[in-house]
Amino acid sequence: MKLMYELSDADRTALESASGGEKLMYCVPYNIEGDRFVKGFLAITDRKLYKLLNGELLLSLPIAESDDFRVEVMYGSCGFYVRTGGVSRLVCRFISGRNLARYSVIIRACEILAEQHGTDPITNDLPERFCPKCGRPYVNNTTICPYCMDRMEVYRKMFAMTKGLRLMMCFPFIVAIFSVVFSFLVPWIEGQAVNEYLEPLSGTERGSMAGFILIVCAIVSIDLFQRALGVIQSRCSAVSGNRFIMMMKNILYEKLESLSLSSLQRRSTGDLMGRVNNDTAVMQDFVTNQLPNIFVQSVSFLVAMVVMLVINPVMCLFIFVPIPFSIFLIKKFWSTMDLKNRRGWNLENKVNRQLQDIFSGIRVVKSFGQEKREIERFRQSSLRSARQTEKNEMLFDTFFPIVTFAIRLGSYLILLYGNILLFDGEMQLGTLHQINAYANIVYSPLIWMTSVPRHISRFLTSASKVFEILEETPEVGDISLPIDIRIHGEINIKNVTFGYESYNPVLTNVSVRIHPGEMIGIVGHSGSGKTTLINLIMRLYDVNTGSIEIDGVNIKDISQEALRSQMGVVLQETFLFAGSIRDNIAYACPSATDEMIIEAAKTANAHDFIMDLPQGYDTVVGVSGYSLSGGERQRIAIARAIIHNPRILILDEATAALDTETEKLIQDALKKLIRNRTTLAIAHRLSTLRNADRLLVLDHGKVAEFGTHTELLERKGIYYKLVMAQQKMGAIPGGGEPEKAAAKTSSATA
Amino acid sequence: MNDTKKKDELLDDDIPALDDRRVSVPLTPENARFYRSEGGLISLELTAEDGEREIFERVAVYRAFPVTSPDEFLSVREVSIIKNEHGQEIGMVRRLSDFDEPTQRLFLEELDRRYFTPEITKINSVKEKFGYSYWDCETTAGHIVFVLNNPFSNIRTLIDGKVFINDIDGNCFTVPDPSKLDASGYKKIEIYL
Ligand SMILES: Nc1ncnc2c1ncn2[C@@H]1O[C@H](COP(=O)(O)OP(=O)(O)OP(=O)(O)O)[C@@H](O)[C@H]1O
Ligand SMILES: [Mg+2]
Repeated sequence: MKLMYELSDADRTALESASGGEKLMYCVPYNIEGDRFVKGFLAITDRKLYKLLNGELLLSLPIAESDDFRVEVMYGSCGFYVRTGGVSRLVCRFISGRNLARYSVIIRACEILAEQHGTDPITNDLPERFCPKCGRPYVNNTTICPYCMDRMEVYRKMFAMTKGLRLMMCFPFIVAIFSVVFSFLVPWIEGQAVNEYLEPLSGTERGSMAGFILIVCAIVSIDLFQRALGVIQSRCSAVSGNRFIMMMKNILYEKLESLSLSSLQRRSTGDLMGRVNNDTAVMQDFVTNQLPNIFVQSVSFLVAMVVMLVINPVMCLFIFVPIPFSIFLIKKFWSTMDLKNRRGWNLENKVNRQLQDIFSGIRVVKSFGQEKREIERFRQSSLRSARQTEKNEMLFDTFFPIVTFAIRLGSYLILLYGNILLFDGEMQLGTLHQINAYANIVYSPLIWMTSVPRHISRFLTSASKVFEILEETPEVGDISLPIDIRIHGEINIKNVTFGYESYNPVLTNVSVRIHPGEMIGIVGHSGSGKTTLINLIMRLYDVNTGSIEIDGVNIKDISQEALRSQMGVVLQETFLFAGSIRDNIAYACPSATDEMIIEAAKTANAHDFIMDLPQGYDTVVGVSGYSLSGGERQRIAIARAIIHNPRILILDEATAALDTETEKLIQDALKKLIRNRTTLAIAHRLSTLRNADRLLVLDHGKVAEFGTHTELLERKGIYYKLVMAQQKMGAIPGGGEPEKAAAKTSSATA
Repeated sequence: MNDTKKKDELLDDDIPALDDRRVSVPLTPENARFYRSEGGLISLELTAEDGEREIFERVAVYRAFPVTSPDEFLSVREVSIIKNEHGQEIGMVRRLSDFDEPTQRLFLEELDRRYFTPEITKINSVKEKFGYSYWDCETTAGHIVFVLNNPFSNIRTLIDGKVFINDIDGNCFTVPDPSKLDASGYKKIEIYL
């Protein structure tokens, strides 16, 4: 991110006259002053901080006397606060999206400057959050600016995607050319038939019957041939279309799975599902249906024009006369319809969301007796939606016939003029018929063609959304030559700082060394960063600074597969996939035998309740399956981790939903399990951690205490207070418990 | 430590220390004096029930109901020791109008900064590009160009018709009454209401 912006001349003069010989280190913009958007700059020299606006110096603060630099994220903007000599000031305000990360660097820079003078400016490799060309923001943490994006690029990427299907995809175009040719041939033959054979009927000479039969045969065989082609084309596009959509979905899904948790969590499940399902469907429809159609319609439009021009230029003119008017009308019609439809669609969506909301919260609704109110709420919004739809349909039904009539105005002119020619004997009936048919060929694509821009823009939107994901580089990626190691179990966390958003660190400077085979209990207030630390060890996220090493190897160098396959987790939120209990237990180890599964379930103390279920281990659980209680789910998750037989076992509140007795049983089982493997266990109930060798106390993202139970008790710090508090509340029954645990601990370490 | 009596003593000493959170008190003109700090922010002199005075060089003010009742239930907070986190609540102001004119002004100044929501007065253009929605508007804070991820979810209408817009960059805008926009502007925003 740029930390040295160019100042305007006026600003530079103001700065130079105020700062004299100080060295300018950083210069960053701010965007809001008072109640206005402005273009101001914050200049930071090695001594002072200057706030400039339109050639005026608004504020200057000595950095050495300042001690608290902070950014506060407010509603609609962010504020940069500095405390100088005990006085807090709001230095400036800025737009969060594009400048928050920049100011987090500036804070660090100021802190460094406040401590020592005259260092070199710090650097950073954070990417800018907006487009350098147009200044508009990038979207979704990508470096894509939709505003500057070129349509051609999307087409090119799309073309590249169709590899392997191209031949099949060409077929509709070939068929299209045939059908254009035939659609011109048939009116011509018909015209011949009328001119040569039907019209003369009323006259004196008769045409030969054989010739007439030939013409009929020709028409029939052309029709047959065309239909046969149509069948082949439909079959072809069914294959190519489905293969295409399947391929797109697979590629997209594969990519989504490879993306890191953080980029997935930025998007909602609905958005992701939309991209996998709807957007690919729109792309497929465009490529296999719309594109050939556009081709056919434009070719036949052009050819019809040319042919008509050749046959009778005056009539061609008649066709043209109403066209500009009708195009204007149609455009107007579609754009109005489009807006109204989108509004209707939005309202309909709201109704759906509301339904979904109510159904997922039905227990709450019922238990608070709010059914009536919800019914009323639903009635309101469905009424709104219905009204809009009603209006839209009425509008469409009224105007569409008018529009079609307007478009066809030209053909009435032709008919009129043609008849005049006919009566004057200047034109034959067959030719008029032919021209009339061509006029229809010109008009019928018109209505449809005006909606082409909509199809194209819909396609471009969907395609760019898909490509947006395909082009995202995974934040947590394997290096080019990842190492596959057999994990022994030593974890060394070195000066780790991490925030889900880089400007908001959740963990700061955490350093812990965990010996192989050790059991570490992690405790701390809710929100202190326990789960986050574990996410980092599992490498669901990458650290911002510092490193995590396993057996002396940085986890970034270990292949993710090797890493995850040797770690087992029981998470705070237990998630069971739709499927049988058996499948869920064997999730990470599909080759597990039934004996192993039962063994694991027994260890996790889950066997008994599973056997009580109607279908035992084959009972289907998950979204649409049998509902298990929180504790039951947890025990299945524990069994899942046990069967995985990991080198590093992670338990995040794994036993929180269990009653004390069950917990005790599982504790004993886990004691067997944790032998010889590194275990990290998070627990709020300290009794759960009585087997822990050492305890790590996190406080606001920092390591507050780290040591054995006895050591920590002696320190009388946070852990001591926690133990005492829980004892007082009766969480650890019996006064001697801590000592017992301590004794165990020391024997385990020994 | 094995001595239960000794432990009980310890406990009684220690438990309050574990919970060193302050107790939030109602703030009234009687117990709280707000004044402009040297740095232009809000300082507070708080008088506890026992007459003890406490001075806060800077307090932060938050609205409990920024949308529905912006001038009631204001949470006055310490500035936290830890960055990026809210400090503890010192107390709540039930109604801003309980305080005198200068204090009200002081509060509103701070609140206007913290809840920066310019009003859109004119919509110049709305363009859709690849599914993102680009807006060009005049607001009470000046001309601005902003982008919405998905206008259907970023534009929120309240029951009373007030509209809130949140853009990609973290800006917030409001349209107090869309029907008061000029006709072409209203037509542009109407789809999303
Ligand atoms: N995916 C996320 N994105 C952004 N912030 C997050 C995310 N997950 C957690 N946080 C924040 O990080 C902080 C630490 O969360 P964490 O889950 O590590 O806490 P914890 O110690 O496990 O708490 P608990 O005991 O309640 O489980 C919290 O302030 C939380 O709001
Ligand atoms: Mg947690």
